[in-house]
Amino acid sequence: MKAAATIKKNRSRRSLSKGDRFTLSAFVGIPTLLQIILLWVPAVVTIVLSFTYWNGVRLEDIRWAGIQNYKTIFVNEPLFYQALKNNGIWLAFFVLVATPLGILLAYQVDRGIKGHAFYESIYYLPVVLSLAVIGIIWNFMLQPGGFVQGLMGLDIGNAISIWGNPDINTWVILGVASWRHIGYIMLLYLSGLKSVDPALKEAAAIDGATEWQIFRKIILPTMQPVNIIIVVITLIESLRAFDLVYIIYGNPTIFPLLNLLVFQNFAGQGISMKGAAYAVILLVLCIVPIITYLRVTFKEDLK
Amino acid sequence: MSEKENSLSRRSVLKGAAVGGLGLVAGGALSAESASAAARIKGTTVRWTTRGGGATGDKIAKAVNDAFTKKTGVKVVAQQVNSDDFQNNFAQIMQGSPDDAFGWMAGYRSNHFGELGLLADLTREINRLKSSLPTSAIKGATSPVSKKPYILPTTYYPWALHYRKSMVKDIGMNPEKIDTWDDFVKLMTLTQKKGLVGYSLGAKGGWEAMGTFDILNSRINGYKYHIDLLNGRAKWTDAKTKETFKYFAQLIPFMNDNVLDISWDGMRDLLLQKKTGAMLMGSWFANDFKAKSQADYDDLWVVPFPEINPKWGRDTIDAPLDGISVAANGKNVAAGKALAEFWASPEGIAEAVKAGDTSIYVSKSFDTSSYDSFNKQKLAVLASAKNIMFFLDRDARGDFAGPVVGPAIQSFIKKPSDVNKILESVQAQWDALPKN
Repeated sequence: MKAAATIKKNRSRRSLSKGDRFTLSAFVGIPTLLQIILLWVPAVVTIVLSFTYWNGVRLEDIRWAGIQNYKTIFVNEPLFYQALKNNGIWLAFFVLVATPLGILLAYQVDRGIKGHAFYESIYYLPVVLSLAVIGIIWNFMLQPGGFVQGLMGLDIGNAISIWGNPDINTWVILGVASWRHIGYIMLLYLSGLKSVDPALKEAAAIDGATEWQIFRKIILPTMQPVNIIIVVITLIESLRAFDLVYIIYGNPTIFPLLNLLVFQNFAGQGISMKGAAYAVILLVLCIVPIITYLRVTFKEDLK
Repeated sequence: MSEKENSLSRRSVLKGAAVGGLGLVAGGALSAESASAAARIKGTTVRWTTRGGGATGDKIAKAVNDAFTKKTGVKVVAQQVNSDDFQNNFAQIMQGSPDDAFGWMAGYRSNHFGELGLLADLTREINRLKSSLPTSAIKGATSPVSKKPYILPTTYYPWALHYRKSMVKDIGMNPEKIDTWDDFVKLMTLTQKKGLVGYSLGAKGGWEAMGTFDILNSRINGYKYHIDLLNGRAKWTDAKTKETFKYFAQLIPFMNDNVLDISWDGMRDLLLQKKTGAMLMGSWFANDFKAKSQADYDDLWVVPFPEINPKWGRDTIDAPLDGISVAANGKNVAAGKALAEFWASPEGIAEAVKAGDTSIYVSKSFDTSSYDSFNKQKLAVLASAKNIMFFLDRDARGDFAGPVVGPAIQSFIKKPSDVNKILESVQAQWDALPKN
């Protein structure tokens, strides 16, 4: 950001002094370098490896596979389509339910409804927990022999199947994930709402706008940058989902997600570059929101 | 617009900075390499990894390692790691700076990594142990491809049918005589009539139910067909394989409804709480019965899985063989080999048993006279089998067992009527694997 500001002040590069140039290169160069080494080099290597057969040990064993890994995934792997479906449902649920709920909560808290401080802390609480910890908590509650099943007087033998039941597990997992996501979105939105000039709302109210009209016509447009960030975060959170489900199942096959399949094919005894192909598929699915995200943040910096 | 100009100029600065940085990194890599070369000097300290086992595991390791130090004067630095993490990251650990020797598993898991050059060849060590090791164990520890052993065999345990004698008596059957398929079905039926689970199974982890598939397939089609199937020499779509799944489907109505929700510990708890008639599992959980109470332990019994096809009888069992491997990239390979040999030798075994190890050792030197009746029965179950399988995820390649067969069995349990579709998919996924 500092570098961006420097550029702005000195429109032409020729007017930069030597010292400025050095500072500028250091500030921009070091993070870029780290970014390239830690992110883009592995990304390019992954893309190349996704077109090979390799078990991850000896370099001389790498063999060219063409598009075979992708073909296997698209043609032969039932888990891929289940994962795509699960990630899709996750995304739809977050976009249509969890995120709007978070926004609604933020709006209500900001309006100062009765007991707003109480709601704020309640919904904020899960945000401080990592999804892995949330997975441990809810697994402990819902698994056979767990706390909730015990309360209902069900022992392991007749415990209700929750994690293993395909009709229920999706919604329970989404509920648990939303438990945290709603608070996260609420927090983000709330910080945005605090910066909206209250005079705007008052003026609209005096002109006779309803609550809904104020929200639609005043708040939403004013919050445009925050809205985009929230949309992108919702997209990325849904696509990169991993830890919660991994902690609950310890294996990617009952509730497959794209990230779990990347992990499954890279870890353990069966390392194969199908994992790389899964990673590339995931990268392609994520890159659109990420680019949008970067463009918005850059625009902000330049303003 | 100025915005565009800005971003352009910024980009070129970024590029310049990036190129400069790359040079620096290349220099760093060079010096790191020479540093690791300098560190590759043999010392008199050897490093040992205990794979799980908690306090007992540490106690056993300390006893054996101390005896080794006393004998050879080589200092042992030991650590315990989480078993699952160690397995999942095995290839990476072995390529990094691994401990010299560690407990590991025979079958595909040692052969594969041995052939890739990550585990040391232990031919000389296994030859020196020949007088105490049975031929079957040496054969089991030797890779069928390279004909070299990458593991020194130490212990094994049976995957067999476990039940509680008191519960079998309660339903009016003789607990000493669960031999035939009919006995087995009767046991499950009568237990289920009492409102309990007939045959408990877990498959949450994806591997637990492989044991049931292994034993059914080897009972119905024989050992050779099973091993052929796992190595692509027989087809998953074959009528013979389908026959196995027919028997598997017969078991499902006797199972708990939450197979996909529980793992092996859930199965154990069902038997511990007297909620299930029978289950097929590795006998390692018996210590937990002992920990609960001696009465629970005395009530536990184990028999070979019943005969289905008289042609094969009960000639095959899953008995995963464990042992000690040596990392080829260890800092002190020579000392690692010596330590591994000590662990697998009669001397080392005696130390481990003295420190409270209840495992069954393959070594002929292993004294079983002080065994209790359950452990004697475990030995009898092992001895009654002619063919030893190592369990599906050690008999089949790693990129097939876990990622393909595991989820296929889970889907089958979810919807047994889909069996043809599932088996076709397994075969297609096998066919798509890269072959050497």
